[in-house]
Amino acid sequence: MSLATTTDETPQRRAIPRWAGALAILTLLLAAALTALCVGRFQIAPLKAIAILLSRVAPLSADWSVMDERIILLVRAPRVLLAALCGAGLAAGGAALQGVFRNPLVAPQILGVSPGAAFGGALAISLGLDGFALIGAAFGFGAFALLLVGCLARVEGRSDTVMLVLTGVVIGALFAALVSLLQFVADPNSSLPAIIFWLMGSFSAATWARVGVAAPGVLIGMATLWLLRFRIDVLSLGEEEARALGLPVERDRWLVFAAVALIEGAAVAVAGVVGWVGLVVPHAARLLVGADQRALLPVSAALGAAYLLLVDSLARSVTAAEIPLGVITALMGAPAFAALLRQTRRKELGA
Amino acid sequence: MIWAEFLGVAALLIGCAAPLRAQASCFDDLTARQVCLDRPAERVVTIPMPSASTFIAVDGAAQRLVGMHPASKRAIDEGLLGRIFPQARAIDASIAGAGSDGFMPNVETLARLDPDIVVQWGDRGDDIVGPLRNAGLTAALLRYGTEPFARGNLTLMGDIAGKPERAKELIAWRDATIADIEKAARDIRDGRRLKVVFLQRAASGLAAAGANSYNDFCIRLVGGVNAAAELVGAGAVNAEQIAQWDPDVILLNSFEEQLAPARIYDDAILSATRAARERRVYKMPIGGYRWDPPSQESPLTWMWLADILYPGAFHFDLRAEIARAYRLLYGFSPSDSDMDEILRIRTNGDARHYERFATSATR
Repeated sequence: MSLATTTDETPQRRAIPRWAGALAILTLLLAAALTALCVGRFQIAPLKAIAILLSRVAPLSADWSVMDERIILLVRAPRVLLAALCGAGLAAGGAALQGVFRNPLVAPQILGVSPGAAFGGALAISLGLDGFALIGAAFGFGAFALLLVGCLARVEGRSDTVMLVLTGVVIGALFAALVSLLQFVADPNSSLPAIIFWLMGSFSAATWARVGVAAPGVLIGMATLWLLRFRIDVLSLGEEEARALGLPVERDRWLVFAAVALIEGAAVAVAGVVGWVGLVVPHAARLLVGADQRALLPVSAALGAAYLLLVDSLARSVTAAEIPLGVITALMGAPAFAALLRQTRRKELGA
Repeated sequence: MIWAEFLGVAALLIGCAAPLRAQASCFDDLTARQVCLDRPAERVVTIPMPSASTFIAVDGAAQRLVGMHPASKRAIDEGLLGRIFPQARAIDASIAGAGSDGFMPNVETLARLDPDIVVQWGDRGDDIVGPLRNAGLTAALLRYGTEPFARGNLTLMGDIAGKPERAKELIAWRDATIADIEKAARDIRDGRRLKVVFLQRAASGLAAAGANSYNDFCIRLVGGVNAAAELVGAGAVNAEQIAQWDPDVILLNSFEEQLAPARIYDDAILSATRAARERRVYKMPIGGYRWDPPSQESPLTWMWLADILYPGAFHFDLRAEIARAYRLLYGFSPSDSDMDEILRIRTNGDARHYERFATSATR
């Protein structure tokens, strides 16, 4: 099942000019961010929310309470930024990986980073650690998982994609089992519910400090992918072709993996496991702009950010209780993915 | 040869059945199933967490308890019960795992303890009961989480221990305390009802106790309002939601050991709630069992909560009440430093109205 990842099916007749498309997607992202900033359980009028934000850069007379200001600047602003960062990173990572693996079912967690990081986080929670110790443990084990995958997949100096995917699955299963083991020994009154909630993903613990922790990883990872955009395009032609074109296939592939692992590790560390974004969003983006990474990476990133912003806004404002992100991303993602798959397939058959 | 074997088996069957029919004492468990014991249980195993301390309290001793859940053990080791009943520290706690699926007993470990009766959850599916039945063990099932269930559990433990009058005595204490509190709580005007949030989880992530929780019952009993009543069960919430509720009082669970009021006072958002500004953040005490879930000590929880919520309306002398209750429950007289530990004077000492627990008026 090789979907449109490899063929350069740029729409033949561009209905809308490139700049208009870019503008539309940027507007969507901005609208999502502003909406996310204005909705929440604590009642603040949208205009007041925007005024509080503007008051940071422009002299505005304050007609709001201390609590209003703290909610906007300390709760929602970092949360919006974190959700956007993670959404953008995960979607761009997914787009790049789907290109490299030439497989539309690949998502960032295929490398084993996400189960590894999940184990690290769960371990920290069951040891009673939180904050930066938790983030460090999640990131550390995420990196360790990738290292394991790398070592195990290399046979006689090279690693092909099938071997990589399989090794990723193996390492992922190993860490998933370790997470189950932790759940088995966790205290049912305190750490067990915390672990379970954390595993389903949430931005509820977002702070500026966490943005500071996640941003470098996600941004460096995304920048690396952007620099590699041409090489990913070549890699997506297939290993033999890429080699024939003189590409150091092995090295470039691992550069992409390292970048994606950096993003995934940083995201899981601050938000727990947020599934589906890296899988579904690239498909939607590909439908819009085709498989060329030069367009696909930024569009995936923007759509991913907007998507996760929307999901997170729902998660924190629909009910008094925080809904885990994983629940919403899967509930929205599964039907969306099915619809996208059908549409892509129909397009392929029609072409 | 074959005949001899057959006769032997037949004799064994008759031998087993006869005493059961002869002098069985039968009682209902909380799922309305009949449980029969041919003699008062001498070897009891409890799997639900709170049951171990409930059984010890009803029995007034720890000798007959031969196995319990690891989480029960932790509460006993951590709290006062381990000191009152040192032999409770030696009781086997290896019958089940600690975490998820932790109520699935290892039947062979259980069988090695040779229990007369095993107390198990009756509201968490049949999967954790089936293995007990299958192994031919006598199981008594309990349900949990509300005041009627708490009383039912006391009665059940009394039946198991062969001391039903003791359960009645403990239930009468609950009735009397509720009547006392309700009388005073009735005079609290609606406008003065304090909004309370009980944080079921606060160390990593926040979760508040919703409408159908026991904490909700306690808060309403003493005349407060559960600000998180729109939640169901223990819902994960964010700081923003708590700011929106703006509670007058925040209660912290006793399960998370490291959790202290500083968690609230140091949080940028939570520190701006009325509860934090007025220093009305309290960590739940731990005595013979934790005071937040229903237990044999619940009347003390109610008095404690009444005193800190409405110091003008309630005047329980908590230290004297604890001394009286512990003599009744455990035949034990706690020292002043025991009391400090139960009430968590070191953690809660500088919270508002807590000075009234510093000393007893009658001592």
